[in-house]
Amino acid sequence: MSAAPAPEAPPPPQPAYAARLPEWARPREVEPRGSGRMRLVETTLLLLAALLLAVATINDVVRQTHVNARLVTDLRTWRTVTGHDYHNLAIAQDIYGHTTREVVCGNTSPGGPKERVQLCLVITGPVVGGLRASHGGWYLPPKVEDLRAYRYGCFGTALARGQCPR
Amino acid sequence: MSVAAQSELGLTRSRSAQWAPALAAVCGLLLVAATAEIVLDGALGHSALIPKSPEIAGWMRGLGERLGYRVFLIAILVSAGAYAGLLALAHAVSKRAAIILIGTLQLIVFAGPILLSTDVFSYIAYARMGVEHGLNPYTHGPLAIANDPIYRYVGQDWKHVATAYGPLYTLLSYPLALLGLKGALWGMKLAALLASAGTLALTWRCACIRGFSPVAAILAVGVNPLYLIYGLGGAHNDLIMLLLMMAAVSLTFAGRDAAAAVSVVAGALVKVTVAALLPFMILARRSRAQLLGAAGALALGAVIAYAAFGIHGVDVVAALNRDSAFVSTDSFPAEIAHLFGKPGVFPVDHDLLKAALVVIVLHLLWRTWRGYDWVAAAGWTLLAISVTSTWLLAWYILWPLPLAVIARDRRLLVATLFVQGLFVVHQITPLLAPVS
Repeated sequence: MSAAPAPEAPPPPQPAYAARLPEWARPREVEPRGSGRMRLVETTLLLLAALLLAVATINDVVRQTHVNARLVTDLRTWRTVTGHDYHNLAIAQDIYGHTTREVVCGNTSPGGPKERVQLCLVITGPVVGGLRASHGGWYLPPKVEDLRAYRYGCFGTALARGQCPR
Repeated sequence: MSVAAQSELGLTRSRSAQWAPALAAVCGLLLVAATAEIVLDGALGHSALIPKSPEIAGWMRGLGERLGYRVFLIAILVSAGAYAGLLALAHAVSKRAAIILIGTLQLIVFAGPILLSTDVFSYIAYARMGVEHGLNPYTHGPLAIANDPIYRYVGQDWKHVATAYGPLYTLLSYPLALLGLKGALWGMKLAALLASAGTLALTWRCACIRGFSPVAAILAVGVNPLYLIYGLGGAHNDLIMLLLMMAAVSLTFAGRDAAAAVSVVAGALVKVTVAALLPFMILARRSRAQLLGAAGALALGAVIAYAAFGIHGVDVVAALNRDSAFVSTDSFPAEIAHLFGKPGVFPVDHDLLKAALVVIVLHLLWRTWRGYDWVAAAGWTLLAISVTSTWLLAWYILWPLPLAVIARDRRLLVATLFVQGLFVVHQITPLLAPVS
């Protein structure tokens, strides 16, 4: 048997000086009964808020699902362009979310993540035939993050845009 | 209604009453299986979901596979479904069965590795900064102890960040720094487990006082997947905050106003969020003892914090302002921004959210003044804080849960579980479109 709910215990005694307070300022155990309009308004607002949160959540799941599908295409593009079937690839997205331009970096020879010279490809555009376009990129020395200061050997659009320091 | 129809209805009810305990048992078993799956797979070590950690659950290795998003998310969805089923069938669960289930789940999580968060390593790093290195954790981030063995486990985002936790929590964590890395980690896990047990015991007590089913109340909190996997699994100090929060509620119910106020202030000196309870308690009771208790505890806390950490240990507002500017992808404001085609949350949005929160709190204060249940009002406030926060983590939406199960306004429990449900739904993207 479950522990059955008991009737509510009496509220704790009011502080002694509460009795000396004017009627309007005394603590109340229950709210005065109104017409129920307040509860109706609150419940309506809560339902509207719930609807907004639910729609925003579903929208975000769908949006993120599309982003993930695009990232999978980016990885496939890097593997196709380089001819290396490596799994430890790093993807950097446009942090502002304004564009679908992504940079995918991976080793140029077998090894642990970022243990070898890395090749980074700038990937843009729509998905065509399961791949996206890559018209440029750069190299990175081993064991560094993709920061401009470390880039070298820019090619394609990256060279034209001066994305390597030298 | 005819006699035949009444008899038919009675039979249906009796049949469903027969099945309810069995269905509740199935839900309980599913929860245990899903939790064990996460813990056993997590014990294999570092993955996208398991932070790097000193090895503390090595004896579990070999029983599972490395924890990936797919298994984790399926286990969380199964847990959420079983949890919902268990709540619906709570009337058919005995006191003993509920306690055994909660104890089993909590011990499984306690025995396992740290799940999903690096926060506990930050707690230990701050403690070691103070004890081992003589540094003030309110003025330095863990980067200041880059040579300490804990440093490599601290989350990347937090290496530069000084502690935002209350001075009482920081001082309580100091003795654990003397136990070494693994000892400190177990100490943190044990503190979280004991805090959880205390919170559940107080929830039981408060539910009895309020005339609610205590079994349903502790099941709603104790087997909640976010509470178990994210809260207890990460050994978060939010559980200590919840313990002090529920102690305050329980003391208020017992008419011990001064002690209740001291408990809230102590909670706020662990994590400042719980201070949201205080105005509602004061408005509901309007007791001088409460004001004196709160003022005395606050003054004592401030003196101790100042003596231990200087002015930075007292200035919690600065830490709050700093952290409120962070944005996490799971936060509802970020999701709403995406819905309206914006890339993210802008400074003006922070101001709008703060304004909305102020309006909500003022409305709740006014209603509490008129006699609305102060427990519900405090719960709504904690829920509103988590929903309007741009930095939302799973354990933040646990804050209102123990209050929701004992609040007279049952809409709070529905709203809290709804928000938690949305959080879980938002996690499932890797299940729909895995990136590999």
